[in-house]
Amino acid sequence: MNVTSIQKLTRKGARISEILRPLLGAIIVIFLLYRLYDVFIVQQEYGPETWLRLAIAGLVIGSVYALIAIGYTLVYGILFMINFAHGEVMMLGAYSGFFVFEAFKAIKVSTDPLVTFSNAYPVLSVLIAFLVGMSVSALAGFSLERIAYRPLRKAPRLVPLIGAIGASIFLQNAAQLLFSPQLRDVTNPEILARGSGWGIMVNGSRVILPYTGVFTFFLSLILLAGLYLVVQKTRLGRSMRAVALDKKTASLMGIDVDRTISLTFLISGALAGAAGVMWGIHNGLVYYFVGFIPGIKAFTAAVLGGIGNLPGAMLGGLFLGLIESLGPAALGIDFQLKDVIAFVLLIIVLIFRPSGLLGERLAEEKL
Amino acid sequence: MKHNLRQSFNTGLTFGFVHVFLVLIGFNTLIGSLFAKLLGAQVSGSQPPVFTLMIYTALLGIWAGLAASKKAQKKNLAGSLAAGTLAGFIAGLIGFLFSLGLGWFLVNRIDFRQYLAFLSFDFIKATLFNLSPLPGALLSGGIFSAAGALGGLLNGVGHLPVVINRVESFRQFCGRTWQRASAPLHGRHRLLIRIALLAVLAALIILLPLEWGSYWNYVAGTVGLYVILGLGLNIIVGLSGQLVLGYIAFFAIGAYTMALLNAPIPHNLMWGFWPAVVLGVLLAAAAGLLLGLPLMRLRGDYLAIVTLGFGEIIRILLKSDVLTNFTGGPRGIQNISGPVLFGKPFNSDIQFTYLIFIAVVMTAFVYNHLQNSRTGRAWLAIREDETVARATGVNTTRYKLLALALGAAFAGLAGAIYASRNQFTGPEEHSLMASINVISLIIVGGMGNIPGTILGAFALKGLPEILREFANYRLLTFGALLVVMMLSRPNGLIPSKRPRYKIKEEPENTADGTEGEDER
Repeated sequence: MNVTSIQKLTRKGARISEILRPLLGAIIVIFLLYRLYDVFIVQQEYGPETWLRLAIAGLVIGSVYALIAIGYTLVYGILFMINFAHGEVMMLGAYSGFFVFEAFKAIKVSTDPLVTFSNAYPVLSVLIAFLVGMSVSALAGFSLERIAYRPLRKAPRLVPLIGAIGASIFLQNAAQLLFSPQLRDVTNPEILARGSGWGIMVNGSRVILPYTGVFTFFLSLILLAGLYLVVQKTRLGRSMRAVALDKKTASLMGIDVDRTISLTFLISGALAGAAGVMWGIHNGLVYYFVGFIPGIKAFTAAVLGGIGNLPGAMLGGLFLGLIESLGPAALGIDFQLKDVIAFVLLIIVLIFRPSGLLGERLAEEKL
Repeated sequence: MKHNLRQSFNTGLTFGFVHVFLVLIGFNTLIGSLFAKLLGAQVSGSQPPVFTLMIYTALLGIWAGLAASKKAQKKNLAGSLAAGTLAGFIAGLIGFLFSLGLGWFLVNRIDFRQYLAFLSFDFIKATLFNLSPLPGALLSGGIFSAAGALGGLLNGVGHLPVVINRVESFRQFCGRTWQRASAPLHGRHRLLIRIALLAVLAALIILLPLEWGSYWNYVAGTVGLYVILGLGLNIIVGLSGQLVLGYIAFFAIGAYTMALLNAPIPHNLMWGFWPAVVLGVLLAAAAGLLLGLPLMRLRGDYLAIVTLGFGEIIRILLKSDVLTNFTGGPRGIQNISGPVLFGKPFNSDIQFTYLIFIAVVMTAFVYNHLQNSRTGRAWLAIREDETVARATGVNTTRYKLLALALGAAFAGLAGAIYASRNQFTGPEEHSLMASINVISLIIVGGMGNIPGTILGAFALKGLPEILREFANYRLLTFGALLVVMMLSRPNGLIPSKRPRYKIKEEPENTADGTEGEDER
């Protein structure tokens, strides 16, 4: 194919692009309506209990996404860079939680072999697991910024992104070499045993509201609310917002920009660490690749909500979790394709509303 | 002074922790066995001989000393020595404590391998130099301190005036020799000489595959395919400045076109190689256009993340059971038949190597031609500033789409040849990691130029094949390398020279050495 014929094609393409977008939108809407009609009215395959189960799973996973997405949004809001290694920071938190629970499993407090430290003092051990996980991840985020991102702050946009990709690959493989590639089962304290929960009778069948799920959901809501308060009400939050708006002016106003950025990475790392420990508690599996997919999903969530926008990231996370969980059933497609739904949603949002569902701050400056 | 001391202290700390990390991932024994191989020492058992581990420790210590004294900017011998010794001592202290801890595991026979994969008893014994814990740890710390001091000393000696003069004169000598040796390249007969050099190179390329054996042909072919991929992505990222992360999706389209048209299962179409290549290239280009059309509004990171999503969608679709009947599902497609030329089927890697070399030359030619054309300049303008480019009359949409389509076509070509050569393709070959590999190779080599792409492809695909021992550490090193490259050489090993366009009427002052100028 020679160059000029492609040029001709593309010239037409430019004009087509303007017509194509509404057309594409119409096709998508018609397809969605058709699938929904098919599933809900024609087939009626799933009863309300299934929808409730899916919604619970979606909300729980969504709250974890929200916690990770906050980290992306905070960093993006300040540095305009995708912290590609953020998922790996979460992975480190998950591993820390795993190790803490393993240690507590090994400590015997009485002669009965079933009474381990984590079962005798469940609240304390969960608390310690979260503290350790959050500190390890906070430290990881902090060091990442110090080592890999700070020297690149003035570089062209592509450079820190590649650096972040490198850091992500490095951390993944370091974890794989250190801890071996096998999957680890996290041993929860008995009160948070996986699979058990409150039973609700819906439509004649029992829907389980798992303890771990409720715990994860509410803990992340508390953490998100705490973060929101920090950003809105405290001095640190004010300087974070100022630095996000304009670094130079902020520094003229007496804000230590470097310190603020470091603290931002600390905070986002700590939240990712909490998400990692939760992931371990709720899903039970920890391995070196555990942070990658949630990381990408969380970034999707951040974009969905409008990147740089804190409530947007939280809602985006919950929304993505719900869509991912309900979507395959609602559209009557294979459950293996739930990741496809997340990415297609991302592409559609970016095509039709690039500033996210809730709108983004600082849209101009990013371009 | 105090500040300097603290800096050396910190360097020592860093190196100490790096040492701990490297031991925990078993890097010391890896380097040890490499030394053992180099020195031809006898290796008994799974662990390398003790003295090689000592060499490893000493080298790390010397590095620590050098780094510390360089950081402290000590120009005199004593200061340099002090900084190096301090750093070595601190690193040694950490190494000592760490080795003691390892020794504790060994003495109490606690098998910690369940958590830290490398800590087998044999490994700990080797790390302690086959001594009992306390002397082993002391020796480790001692080697570190001594080597740190040596490193400091070396740095100090390096800054002595005598040595500086020697080095300078040697460098000048090298420069003169190089100039004399390369004089014919710029002389009267330069065209002739260059043609001769090219002919030698071409002869090498033609003759080498016959001598290599199938393994090296395979490696060379892989490198060649990655050169094509790198060039294609360079059009998109390097020339037109659009960061596309899901590039491997186009490669997958090419590979699957070839596979579906030429494999007995699932469709048994058997179109033959050549029509399938053409169709693969066209389909990939069409996919590039289709993806590009709705995304033209997006720039930078958003484009990156959307294309990443696109790549993942393609992979997940190929992997899922939904399309099993059409694309073979997670197990991929096997027994793809190879090309037939003049009635002769390709049945060895040699023919494929030639085919790939021809494809590389063709793509490089197209790339070079485009880069130096009106199109290339338009891309450059878009890369530098899209708004300005549009304001000066460049049809940005058109050129961005053209870049995407062409880059995708390159990837389709590489994918089709790849599938045909391997006689297999499956969804996991087209993971996000592969995309990142291609991005990394153009960045490591130097964005936007052909030699850089070739060097990058060789570094990323060729070197790991040669250094088989490092197989486990390949990605780790690669990740670290990416970070280090971005910190130290963000423009790659062979940075692109920016073309400078001169207005012919007014010869401008070229005092700043406009090497990369080309007038057109």
